[in-house]
Amino acid sequence: MRGRILSILKRSAAWTKRHKLRTAALVLVLVTTTPDVSKGQFLDPCCAMLAAGLTTISNTLSGVVGGGLHSIFSVEQSISNFEQQVVWPQGLISQARALVGGLQGTFNQMQALTQIRVNSATLPGAQQLEQDLLSRNPNQIVQTTAAYNALYGTVPGETDASPEVRDLVDMTDAAAQTAMKRAIEIDSLADLELQAAGQISESVQNAAPGSAPIIEAQADAWLIRANAYTQAATADLMRLRAVDLADSSAELKIGATNTANLRQGLINLLQHN
Amino acid sequence: MRLAVYVGYLVSFSLFSWLVASLESRRHVVAAVVASVVLLNLAVPMPAQAQGSLITAVQAVLNVIHSVIQSALNDIHDLRAAVRNFYQSVTWPVELIAQARSEVLEMVNQYRHLMASILNINLKSATLPGPQALESLIRDHRVDNFSSLGQAFTNAYGAIPAAADASPEDRAMADMDDALVLDNLKTLKASDGATDLELQAADAMENAASQAAPGSAPFLTAAAAASSIRSQALTQKMLAAELRQEAAKMAHGNELRKRGATFTLQLRGVLINLLQHN
Repeated sequence: MRGRILSILKRSAAWTKRHKLRTAALVLVLVTTTPDVSKGQFLDPCCAMLAAGLTTISNTLSGVVGGGLHSIFSVEQSISNFEQQVVWPQGLISQARALVGGLQGTFNQMQALTQIRVNSATLPGAQQLEQDLLSRNPNQIVQTTAAYNALYGTVPGETDASPEVRDLVDMTDAAAQTAMKRAIEIDSLADLELQAAGQISESVQNAAPGSAPIIEAQADAWLIRANAYTQAATADLMRLRAVDLADSSAELKIGATNTANLRQGLINLLQHN
Repeated sequence: MRLAVYVGYLVSFSLFSWLVASLESRRHVVAAVVASVVLLNLAVPMPAQAQGSLITAVQAVLNVIHSVIQSALNDIHDLRAAVRNFYQSVTWPVELIAQARSEVLEMVNQYRHLMASILNINLKSATLPGPQALESLIRDHRVDNFSSLGQAFTNAYGAIPAAADASPEDRAMADMDDALVLDNLKTLKASDGATDLELQAADAMENAASQAAPGSAPFLTAAAAASSIRSQALTQKMLAAELRQEAAKMAHGNELRKRGATFTLQLRGVLINLLQHN
């Protein structure tokens, strides 16, 4: 087999030497007619079309998508500038926080003013009651009755006054004592409110614009509560004055009864004489 | 397809080679070469490329860009522009923000000094030295002169009677009454000072409001709400003082009534004894 192939090759070489023109013709035909030729990238119309298509896509992306995104960016940037310069300017936010911090000092002075000692009584009985009344301590309320009775006395015994007078005395004492006890409560509540207001102010100093309204809502709730306490104190003051008025009216009534009884007694006395 | 092209080409080229080898004259060989080249190029064409599908694909991409993407981007742009316009014209219009600030300043100019001057009108009315001193002390908004107040009060209203000059009950009543009066006068001096501080705080907050932005105003409103709580607390303390004073006044009257009942009882006993002796 090998010898045969070598023989064919030798004969072909000999034929090629003898027929150079024909060999060149065969090579020429082979070169020019081989079907699967490689494609020229610059001359191939398909590549040119592909390049043109890609260029069009690129231009379109730049124009349509890039332009659209740039337009959106411009709007977003103007919104951002507006928010930073008009709605939430950092400088004014810091300034507001600083103001709240500065006001805290003012409010501390106010709180200190409310805690100044004002006791003024000089005698032991009055001093004890005054101390209870100005204590701002609800635990002192239970001691108020004893101090009150020590100073103002108790309701007269059954043999010492008429039932009407005893009722009047008891009611007036009750109203006065209740008002004094309420005054201790209100003082204590006011102290707690001042304390809470200080805490709220501290929270405001550390707040963000988005969280400040939450603190404000809490402060408003506290304000409603404070208004309720003020109303409670006002109500007690009104009750006290109502009892006082009723007391004056009762004095008139008892006086009229006593006058009538005295007149009747004098008539009886004159009749017996 | 490609395999068939190669097989066809191989057969054609073999026939051509046999033809070239068998021809005698050079002219015939040249003619055969030319004819073969033409025939082979016609018989074995280059495989066609799918040019139509490439154009379609490019056009499809362009269509997507022009329709879906451009439309989406336009929608986003329109939406954000609408949000911006809403912010600028409805939620935070710059003109109205500036107008609010200038209105704050106008009200400051209109009211602040007027109200301060009304509050600071001199109300003192005493004519004699003792009452004048007391009146001045109870209205000076100071908390560092309580001892002077006590002295002026004693000068105007007298001291507690000595033990030999009044009953223990009367002395105790007078002491309690005077104490509560002085307590309240001291409390009022402190309250006046606190009121001054409140007004300072209100002025500071109003000044800040005249320069505030929508984003910084919540700090001021929260601070103002906290100040209102303090203001209420001060009002409550004054009400508590008023309650104490009113209660003491009633208790005093009631104590007199109790003693009156005792005196009446004693008087009745004396009268009975007197009548019995007669």
